[in-house]
Amino acid sequence: MRTSLPVPAASGRMLQRLFLLWVLAILAGCASQQRLTDVRAFAAKAPTLSSYTDLSQRYRDTWQREQPYLTPAADAREKTIDAKRRDAYPDFIAIHHAVVTYMRALGALAGGEQFDMDDQIKATAEGIKAWPDAGITERHVNAYAGLTRLLARLVGGRAQDKAVESMLRDGYEPMQASLDAMGTVLRHYDKTHDNERAIVLGMLDVETPFADNPRDRLLAVLAKAHRQDKAAEYRLLGLRHTAAARHVNDIQTMHQALARDYGIAPASVRVASPVNPSAAAGAMP
Amino acid sequence: MSQHAPSPADIEALADSLSASANELHDSIMRAIRRNGTADDAGADAGPPVTHAEAQALFEQEVELRQRANSLYVDSARFAVAGLSVPAQEMLRLAAQARETIRRIDRARDLAGIVASLLGLAGAIVGRQPKDAAAALEDLKDNLAAFKADSRKPDDAPTMGT
Repeated sequence: MRTSLPVPAASGRMLQRLFLLWVLAILAGCASQQRLTDVRAFAAKAPTLSSYTDLSQRYRDTWQREQPYLTPAADAREKTIDAKRRDAYPDFIAIHHAVVTYMRALGALAGGEQFDMDDQIKATAEGIKAWPDAGITERHVNAYAGLTRLLARLVGGRAQDKAVESMLRDGYEPMQASLDAMGTVLRHYDKTHDNERAIVLGMLDVETPFADNPRDRLLAVLAKAHRQDKAAEYRLLGLRHTAAARHVNDIQTMHQALARDYGIAPASVRVASPVNPSAAAGAMP
Repeated sequence: MSQHAPSPADIEALADSLSASANELHDSIMRAIRRNGTADDAGADAGPPVTHAEAQALFEQEVELRQRANSLYVDSARFAVAGLSVPAQEMLRLAAQARETIRRIDRARDLAGIVASLLGLAGAIVGRQPKDAAAALEDLKDNLAAFKADSRKPDDAPTMGT
């Protein structure tokens, strides 16, 4: 085993350069930390979109809930509509899947731990500190410097910021289009829900007055109690529709704000639609 | 309306108007039913009473209007998502790409391990401590092996944190 000739002055300069590199990488990381935090906050909102899947399932199962209240003729008509709804359901769910997968991957890319090389950098720095000045050849130092530079380029916050920016830019239009569609689909769920409520409660409202005689008293009481339950159920569902529309709208707004922070000038600036889900896009003819 | 195929907005608007008609029909059915009980008090000008069968027949019409509206809502909603399979694929592709980037970062971590091993080795050599050098060399071998194994790793994505 041989030791190299000591060249303390040269190695000292190289080490200074190495430290400078680290400092620069860390500073660049700090500058982009806030934006990355915002991206993570955005990605953390993905679970709120689960209300969309819940309502999609409920929409798909509309016939099942309506069936007891339908006449045979109406039931036969509903069967074909049910088939259409079940046919469309996978398409409705696919949008949610794409949006949530995208958001999660974006969040992982902006993740605090993914690019965090503190431990490794610390270990390396300690290694250098423990390095006796004597016995380092310039060739050694150059080799380490090369590796470290590569490392800094790969792991710096700037690299992460760039990766996130690129993903945001490429995903901007598809994401906005998908969120638009989710809002539209939710509006249709809400309108279908209104008609379902009108069919179920309306049937009870039309029939109950004709049971208003002593002989049918028990029937009338049960019908009224049942109507109260159903009315409460539909009222809660109405609130869930409103909340789901708001979640989609919030995510769309956050997504647009992120795109602005990253200087992604969208080809066409979309404006998030207003929260009210029951407001029809097309006015009444 | 245009002469072209109806747009999703046209279909939705038509469905809205069917729903609105059903609402009006329901209101008039309920008014007629309510008159049944009060006909004696209100006098003859309150309008004719409605029989149970008539009310049921009218309500059946109301239900049919609502069903036609709901059928149009499915069509309109399907139109809204019809063009979205390409954007959805693009988003899934970007997500896969992000996972690939994360995987590369994991490789960079292995690289960091190699740098640390090299430093350990160099320190041991400089300090003329053969025992430490041998250990550092083993460490370096392990790290290089991990790095190579990671390079060969197929394209499957690592499990996502959140």
